[in-house]
Amino acid sequence: MSLAGKRILIAKPGLDGHDVGAKIIALALRDAGAEVIYTGLRKAPEYIARVAVEEDVDAVGLSILSGSHVDLVRETARCLREAKAGNVKLFVGGTIPQEDNPALIEAGAAGIFNSSQRIEDVIAELARVLDAG
Amino acid sequence: MLSPDERRDLAREISRLASASVEQMLAAPPAAPGRSARRIGFTGPPGVGKSTLVGSLVERRAARGTSVAVLAIDPASPYSKGAILGDRIRMDRASDNSRVFMRSVSSRDSQDGMCNNVADILTTLEASGFDEVVLETVGVGQAEHAVKALVDTVVLLMQPETGDAIQALKAGILEVADIIVISKSDLPGSARMREHLASTVRFGAKRAVDWTTPVLGVSVDTGAGLEELEQALDAHAQWATTHRDAVAIQRSRMRYRVQDLILRQLDHTLASLDDTDYAAALPALYAATVKKLLPRP
Amino acid sequence: MNKPEDINLEPAQPGFRTPSGIEVPEVATADMVDPARVGAPGEYPFTRGIFENGYRGRLWTFRQYSGFGSAEETNERYKFLIAQGQTGLSVALDLPTQCGYDPTDPMASAEVGKVGVSLSNLAEAEILFEGLDLAKLSTSFTINGTAAIVYAMYLAAADKRGIPRAKLTGTIQNDILKEYVARGTWIFPVRPSMRLIADSILYSNEQTPRFNPISIAGAHVRDAGCTAVEEIAYTLANAFAYVDELVARGANPNEFAKRLSFFFYVHMDFFEEICKFRAARRYWARKLKERYGVTDEKALMFRFGVVCGGSSLTAQQPLNNIVRVGIENMAAVLGGAQSIFTCAYDEAFQIPTETSAEIALRTQQIVAYESGISRTVDPLGGSYYVEWLTDRMEEEMEKVIKEIDDYGGTVRAVEDGYLQSRIARRALERKLDADKGERVVVGENYFRHAEQTSDFGEVFRMDPNISSKVVERFKRVKETRDNAAVTRALAKLREAAVKDGENLMPWLVDCCHAYATVGEMVSTLKAEWGEFQEPVRL
Repeated sequence: MSLAGKRILIAKPGLDGHDVGAKIIALALRDAGAEVIYTGLRKAPEYIARVAVEEDVDAVGLSILSGSHVDLVRETARCLREAKAGNVKLFVGGTIPQEDNPALIEAGAAGIFNSSQRIEDVIAELARVLDAG
Repeated sequence: MLSPDERRDLAREISRLASASVEQMLAAPPAAPGRSARRIGFTGPPGVGKSTLVGSLVERRAARGTSVAVLAIDPASPYSKGAILGDRIRMDRASDNSRVFMRSVSSRDSQDGMCNNVADILTTLEASGFDEVVLETVGVGQAEHAVKALVDTVVLLMQPETGDAIQALKAGILEVADIIVISKSDLPGSARMREHLASTVRFGAKRAVDWTTPVLGVSVDTGAGLEELEQALDAHAQWATTHRDAVAIQRSRMRYRVQDLILRQLDHTLASLDDTDYAAALPALYAATVKKLLPRP
Repeated sequence: MNKPEDINLEPAQPGFRTPSGIEVPEVATADMVDPARVGAPGEYPFTRGIFENGYRGRLWTFRQYSGFGSAEETNERYKFLIAQGQTGLSVALDLPTQCGYDPTDPMASAEVGKVGVSLSNLAEAEILFEGLDLAKLSTSFTINGTAAIVYAMYLAAADKRGIPRAKLTGTIQNDILKEYVARGTWIFPVRPSMRLIADSILYSNEQTPRFNPISIAGAHVRDAGCTAVEEIAYTLANAFAYVDELVARGANPNEFAKRLSFFFYVHMDFFEEICKFRAARRYWARKLKERYGVTDEKALMFRFGVVCGGSSLTAQQPLNNIVRVGIENMAAVLGGAQSIFTCAYDEAFQIPTETSAEIALRTQQIVAYESGISRTVDPLGGSYYVEWLTDRMEEEMEKVIKEIDDYGGTVRAVEDGYLQSRIARRALERKLDADKGERVVVGENYFRHAEQTSDFGEVFRMDPNISSKVVERFKRVKETRDNAAVTRALAKLREAAVKDGENLMPWLVDCCHAYATVGEMVSTLKAEWGEFQEPVRL
């Protein structure tokens, strides 16, 4: 499955500093042909939205392991809309109990991933959602 | 300052240009802007600290009210053609400023380390009203010459104790530089390298022009040398107003644009020739290539 | 997630390499072992443990990690765990405290009290330790970026209760180097951070001689995806960087090395985990002796605590994690750990419930009192396989340490992002291996149910009002304290921060006594030192 030509922002909102998951995904997306922008740690949702706009990305992937995923997804989705980038697809990955999925989708997530998923499945799902437009 | 809509539209226009084909560019070439911005290029080997330096410089200039657009070009992975565009994080503090617009692009399959239609992207940034446009690229020997054609001031970065200077001398790119910066000047070996380069430049091929390329040591960590670098940039801009010919600049930029398109077209053409074509004698192959390259009048 | 056709597939015969890539013999034999290298327990080079009598004198410390929400609730949980037989406290702090933001800071808002307790000023510490005998309990803080500040706060809390500092026992993690590579709670640039570490170690050696002022941790790089060999190698490389810093400050390694301690994960590969500790113990003693001329036997002893669980636990079929933790707990004991923490089976995914936390503690008690494995010292010592694998792991860790040395040492490797990038690449490799099924994880990539969900049963839910309670109390403290005293204390701290060689600890303790907040102390230091700029290199 290829993500050739797709531009994807991988971001770590909040204070959680476990960034290996974000980096694994960034590397794997690159290997699948995507152009990946990684923000580094502790980024505010406003900042993430701004970078998403300037870099004209197709998708934003948030990596969150602190348990604050619902709040941070909702806030990032709001900031994207405010920056006129409501069309950018928002994904979230990390330590996320399944029962939070409905709340995350309602908050604006177009896809939810966890670390036990295979990388190739994550990429296939991203490609599917992005190609569906 | 750009509105959110303008910011988004500019970002989209850059994406469009960065992936526009030769045909698309010829069908609708962006018009020359009614205004010009000051263009500064930063180049040098990977890991030398270009983004960090650009970040702190842009931060300083934006704080004084200058609006700056940065275009950072990163190399693509030769295997997947994907890329990690990592420059942005090193310019973090600067990119939070509303006077700053920052964009990373991948060099994709270009051979000179630039992105496709880079000249037109720079023109578009210029047309958006920024005071300064900064181009940052990894030096790959070819890139320095491309940067030279596209910007007003070329800053070449090198790191002490890495052999960067010897490589630069060998590749003949020292002459391209208007300013040379020894980055991470708090590392050992910096002073010696600076002295060596300064004397090389003084007695080098550029004696004919009355601009002596300054060699500066800069450490972003300590802030040492940033002031001097800004002064050197201003001095070069001043010098350029009286010593550079606008027509010649225009000519070299148009030349780069057309050459860029032709080279890309040539790449496609060469890739499309089949084994029979390549089995022919050299003159026949040459003729076939040229014929195929220029299908339209 | 597996494709449906993979469910309940039998894994292929596993290879004969350990997860660190060491090819093992079909059968180990006597000629593979040099008895001279093994030595005796309690004697240099300590392959068989640092104590002559092993666990006969004293069992390891059962230490469970807890702390969430408000100081009152955490205090209650501590009292519960102590009543259950726990012998050491372990304090988890929330991310704002770890990263140096006050609860009212916009950066903190979503995370107050989330992954640990909020400890923003002395008033919170007073509530947290209310009714607990700090002179008897050993207290361990998982804190790094703000470790010196939290340690200062602990001292101030003890001072106020009239407990002599010399009686305090416990540990602060205080290992900033691994924060830059794997855990991310860095604040200042690397060099001033190294100074703060040296300041706190030197101050602790003098003021709280029974306290461990640093616990150099491999656990986080391990959880990030490194092998057991890399876990030890990166950690020892960091440890040498701290030793270098302390030696440069004029400290005597024969003294300060006695209070250095280590902290690792135990994952599932039983013998590799046991042997990594034996190898690390020997390598550490040897290097301290050869490289730093340490002669004091006590200073050569490698003391470490462990966590059993971490990323070896799975979200799928979570009750299997109880078995995993039990096996890991045995490996830790056979490896000679001084303190052991067992993860609750749901711990990797949520804050443990009272039931899951209790099972975790019971696991330790079963290993300690039913299994009999601690009856004799180092029962595996002299096993051909164990001694052979110990030797091989020591060689492999030495190779990795040499690569870092060749790069220019840990500090440089961290500043440049070299180590970070090495770890990220290794993590991707490990993930792809697991995806391909080359590493078997029962219930996750093999032996699954067709319709599998991660069902933890009872879920612990945090009181959603915690954050506002913490914020309110914080505001009240700021209104009622003597603000002039705070300003004076912070000004003194700032003065000290610019002076090279000045120990900041006394000034931090003064700030804590004045009820200055973590955020205020951190901002004061940031104003002088700046912040770490993350070198993203993938």
